[in-house]
Amino acid sequence: MRKVITLCSCFMLVLLAGCSQPPKPSNKLHLWHWMTDRNDTFLKLAQEYKQETGIKVSIQLFAPSDSYSQKVIAAAQADVLPDIYGILDKKSIVADFIKAGLVADLTDAMDADGGSWKNSLFDKGLADKSFEAGNIYGVKPGIYGVPIDVTNEQMLYNKKLLSKAGINAPPKTFDEFIKDAQALRRVGITPFVSGWGELWLLDCFASNYAFNIMGEEKIFATYRGKVKYTDPDWIKVFNIFTELRDKGVLIDGIVTKGNKYAEQDFALERAAFAFNGSWCVNVYHNMNPNLDYGVMPPPPISSAYPLKIWGSAGSSFVVNAGSPNKDKAIAFLKWLTAKKQQVVLAQETNNLPSNKEALSVISPILEEFARGMDQSTHPNIWPLNEDPSVSEAFDKGIQDIIIGEKTPLQVAQDVQEVKDRQMAKGNYSR
Amino acid sequence: MTNETVFIDKALIPHHLNFGNFAVAWTKGNFAVYFLNSVIYTVCVVTGIVFISSLAAFAFSRLKFPGKNIIFYMFVGAMMIPLPGSFVALFVLVTKLHLVNTRFGYILCMINVGLSMSILLLKTFFDKMPPELEDAARIDGCGKLGIWWNMAMPFARPAIAVIVIFNSLNVWNEYILAMLLLEDTKLMPLQRGLVVFQGANSTDYPVLMAGLTMAAIPIILICLAMQKYIVKGLSSGEVVG
Repeated sequence: MRKVITLCSCFMLVLLAGCSQPPKPSNKLHLWHWMTDRNDTFLKLAQEYKQETGIKVSIQLFAPSDSYSQKVIAAAQADVLPDIYGILDKKSIVADFIKAGLVADLTDAMDADGGSWKNSLFDKGLADKSFEAGNIYGVKPGIYGVPIDVTNEQMLYNKKLLSKAGINAPPKTFDEFIKDAQALRRVGITPFVSGWGELWLLDCFASNYAFNIMGEEKIFATYRGKVKYTDPDWIKVFNIFTELRDKGVLIDGIVTKGNKYAEQDFALERAAFAFNGSWCVNVYHNMNPNLDYGVMPPPPISSAYPLKIWGSAGSSFVVNAGSPNKDKAIAFLKWLTAKKQQVVLAQETNNLPSNKEALSVISPILEEFARGMDQSTHPNIWPLNEDPSVSEAFDKGIQDIIIGEKTPLQVAQDVQEVKDRQMAKGNYSR
Repeated sequence: MTNETVFIDKALIPHHLNFGNFAVAWTKGNFAVYFLNSVIYTVCVVTGIVFISSLAAFAFSRLKFPGKNIIFYMFVGAMMIPLPGSFVALFVLVTKLHLVNTRFGYILCMINVGLSMSILLLKTFFDKMPPELEDAARIDGCGKLGIWWNMAMPFARPAIAVIVIFNSLNVWNEYILAMLLLEDTKLMPLQRGLVVFQGANSTDYPVLMAGLTMAAIPIILICLAMQKYIVKGLSSGEVVG
């Protein structure tokens, strides 16, 4: 009897599981996101969209971002992804989603009407979720994501603290920056802060100068193993940090400082310069609305090559390729990234809009950040990236230089050793 | 305090007290709905855990059936699997059963999370129960369920108190599984309200602290009320183990 009951129960469960119906098109879109600070604005815009089109967009917030990513992966496995969502993982994971048929190709929609949608958006924002022909991931070339905003990392300067040290204009070259830092030290002001306890931010700063010193071809040649990290140009990059340390430019404990704490230091006027991303506008405004500061790219150390900053899509949405409401979802994203809605998003959330036309009405400080987008680049759009273990050795080596444990040459040799080891294992950069 | 002064005013007692933060946290964090949800989840999950784990522990301790030890060690082994490690499998299962975005689905999963530890704890208590008590109950006409209800459960009261407190804490503070399984904000537990104040780059600290204070009060009261049982229950378990 017990066996019969068990068998019947199992049969019922299987029957229930098989009772699911294929989704049908509807006038309701589901959007999942992780952006707590933008939720209210999204809800407001969704309400407007309903009034304009009659289509309801259900905005669902799942934060923090780590947990959101887990939910998206679980939903992908169970094939219950919403119509619109974001993928926060690295590009190889985005490629996996695309190859699994979970992300719609938006190229046709972007190119329609003479490419008006595509042309209205920052190229760097689009590049984040785009794949070129012959990409290493084996993804069909196309545009797969819509940037909701863009971001870049630059230097900030506190106007009040600079004037206290008799500095009237921000430095234009690295030498000027060092002189300004020493002038600040003389009047008891800490010159520079950044969250270099977080390796990515340190990596970003170092790669800005690597582009400036040797140009992108040589950087990528290093990643391919054709140029060694002991090359004089790489030593120059490492030497920047020796100089910053020796000239007293850096705040104490910079290699253990998380970016949140570095942001507090700059917002509370404990340091005159900072290196941070454009999201800081919102952060600084919350901590100290009266902070008077400006934005500048890191001052170049060489005139050999242009200095590149990191810049890309801040947040992007993708459309579920299996959604019965795919076209409606694309139409909503087109509406969301139109000038009017982008202005609302930029003004209410203090993020850089992804629509270039919206720049005319954003705050002056955001406009300063926006100017940097033209000289930006990002690992996500590079043809290849360094092996993660080499990058880690590189960034940790710089931390060692800053705390005086190693010389630039020692670090260069250490990094090259890791690189050689990875190459010997067949782990080439991708 | 305000978000600007929270970084500047480092006095133990802030110079400008702003009790309005509590009202903001309650309304902006939608606490009225989330509070009720958390109460429902806590009561249902803890009741479910106590009921199922006590029956299971009694069976493992006092009954004889094939594969008893293997099944018991499987339960104990399940304690070693961290919750995030089972996310995908759990989500797929709950989706197939059409229980995603339902209170029932979340309650079932949370009961599952708390069962292993509770069974282990209760089994050690039931193992300690003198067989004479069981015999006496049987002579008085008790069946297996009667012995469980009239003898074993009163005997394991300190362990049950510990299970109630530990699982109440666990359910009250849980958010990750709720976020995974629930989509409708009307079904979310209290922790969802607190997330609203924490952005990826900036946090509204004064309102967050006010919200945390309100969220902590009920669980602190439960812990204080049952404090003596925690010590008694844990120490009794240790002696047996």
